[in-house]
Amino acid sequence: MQIRDYVLRRLLILPLLVVGTSLIVFSLTRIGGSPIGIYLSHEMDDQEVAQLEERFHLDDPLPVQYVYWATGVLRGDLGWSGVAAAPVTQVFPAKLTASMELAIASAIVAVVLGISLGTYAGARRNRLPDHITRIFSISGASMPLFWFAILLLIVFWVNLGWFPVGRSNAEIFHSIPHPTGMYTIDALLAFDLTALRDALWHLALPAITLGYGATAIIARMMRSSLVEELQEDYVDAARAKGLPERLVLKRHARRNALIPTVTVIGLTFGFLLQGAVVAEIIFQWPGLGRWMADAVLRGDQATIMAYVMFTSVLFLFVNLAVDVVYAYLDRRVVLGE
Amino acid sequence: MADIPRRVPVAAPLAESAWRVRARRWRELLTATLANPTTVIGLVLIIGMLAVALFAPLLTEPNTPDPYQMPRDWGALNEPPGTPGHLLGTTNTGGDVLYGIIWGARTSLRLSLIVVSITAVVGVAVGSLAGFSGGRIDEILMRIVDVFLSIPELIFALAIAAVLGPSFRNIILALAVVFWVKYARIMRAQIIHIKKNDYVDAARVIGDSGWRIYATDVLPNSITPVIVQATLDMGHIVLVGATLSFIGLAEAGLAEWGVLVSEGQAGISAGRWWASTFPGLMVFLWALAFNLVGDGLRDVLDPRTESAR
Repeated sequence: MQIRDYVLRRLLILPLLVVGTSLIVFSLTRIGGSPIGIYLSHEMDDQEVAQLEERFHLDDPLPVQYVYWATGVLRGDLGWSGVAAAPVTQVFPAKLTASMELAIASAIVAVVLGISLGTYAGARRNRLPDHITRIFSISGASMPLFWFAILLLIVFWVNLGWFPVGRSNAEIFHSIPHPTGMYTIDALLAFDLTALRDALWHLALPAITLGYGATAIIARMMRSSLVEELQEDYVDAARAKGLPERLVLKRHARRNALIPTVTVIGLTFGFLLQGAVVAEIIFQWPGLGRWMADAVLRGDQATIMAYVMFTSVLFLFVNLAVDVVYAYLDRRVVLGE
Repeated sequence: MADIPRRVPVAAPLAESAWRVRARRWRELLTATLANPTTVIGLVLIIGMLAVALFAPLLTEPNTPDPYQMPRDWGALNEPPGTPGHLLGTTNTGGDVLYGIIWGARTSLRLSLIVVSITAVVGVAVGSLAGFSGGRIDEILMRIVDVFLSIPELIFALAIAAVLGPSFRNIILALAVVFWVKYARIMRAQIIHIKKNDYVDAARVIGDSGWRIYATDVLPNSITPVIVQATLDMGHIVLVGATLSFIGLAEAGLAEWGVLVSEGQAGISAGRWWASTFPGLMVFLWALAFNLVGDGLRDVLDPRTESAR
């Protein structure tokens, strides 16, 4: 199979998957019983209830209801969020930017830390730093994020008092305008160092929490691919011509080891999406994840469904991008089957 | 690593009966598994946790009428660790942290055993059907699997549990709905791979029925990755389950680690670190133990597939 065909095939399946996902989400809204409940009050008689059902097409068969629901979603009608007391679409952008800021910060933490840790360990194979990194990486897959976050809070917030919780200091928040909604970028645009420091300071702990799992995966991948590269002939050649070990590592081995690592970085995106719920609850970060958690506890179906739909579609596109990049980088993998 | 034959050779020594070959193979597997120190650490941890879970009624006085509910000692709120009668301290509602840890092990064992057995059986069945029949059935089943995989697992489970209403039972249900797909995928890939072997053709030639070929030739030879995945999931499911109950989807007062961490969270700003720290540590150790053993098993059983996680 040609790569172009592979990409085309994946693109053709994508709408199918989106429709499938929407079917699951729609069925979820009907498992908990008819959504008519939120419109009912005790004074209504049967006739009024029937009128309401007719108005919202809830008396139609399920497939017809699905079509109404799906067209509504396509038109941008995601329903009313009980938690936010506003239409979902109205609240969504602000929550999204808050989550995006956190996700980007965590991704930076994970990429920088993961690659440097992996390089450090891979270059010192089977020595102490390698063992420590290995333990760190294995722990990453087993660490309950909510526990890690609470440990960070106990140490750095309660005992040392180094970092705050929440998203910003109210006074500093009001001192600058917020055109983008990402506080670090807003502070940069306003050339305000105090605001920037405040934004970064609030961002640090949640970003480290959220980035931990991804860091572990990236470090592990970087380490193993570096170890593999270091056994290649071109590394021996570089050493033989008298290149210092530092440069062998930096100019030759690390560059090649980065290729498989880059594709793994895309896969860690799922970690960030899922971890956001927990990290945002614990650090009181006003993003999508915390909104979802509130919605879950208060039975706010519209918000839950919008969130599930949004993250799934995002996840689908990211996975597609990762697979395509991977197919280009390592042709043997997909084309063999 | 010791060299382990992946399959019983077709031309096994005639003097050796089939079950003796199998027994020898299991012995070799066991030796190879125990040669890895991290696997042994994981095994010791698992045995310890299982012992705690099994002997919970002997280690603590079970709460009546429901031992899975935390007993409340209203005369001892927020006691620090080391208090007589409350070795690991109490929560802000007088729950004994040690009791929660011990019975939480039992809750976790119940959760992971139920979910892993349901998901593995369903997944193996679906994957076998897809891989064995091929064609249209395969295509349809695999597209369904793809759809299930396109929703991030924690978020999917969270949404299902939320729609069903907060209870531990519904957490189990939600996890079962989400986690079967991995097994289906693994099993299908295995079956397609194993089907190509000569011994399957041989069985067909001597006139074995499709079901017999599946049961005696295909299934036993394709089950190892499922065992590895099930081991990893024993840990992973407790991790995700505890996350759901931490978010608030289990009954309050349940002796479960995530519930306890959530209960203890309120006190950390006042310096009461213990109620969250100990139960969270248990979740970590539980998941770590099964990850170590799962990774070790994969190295021995399935040396070709590198860990994807």
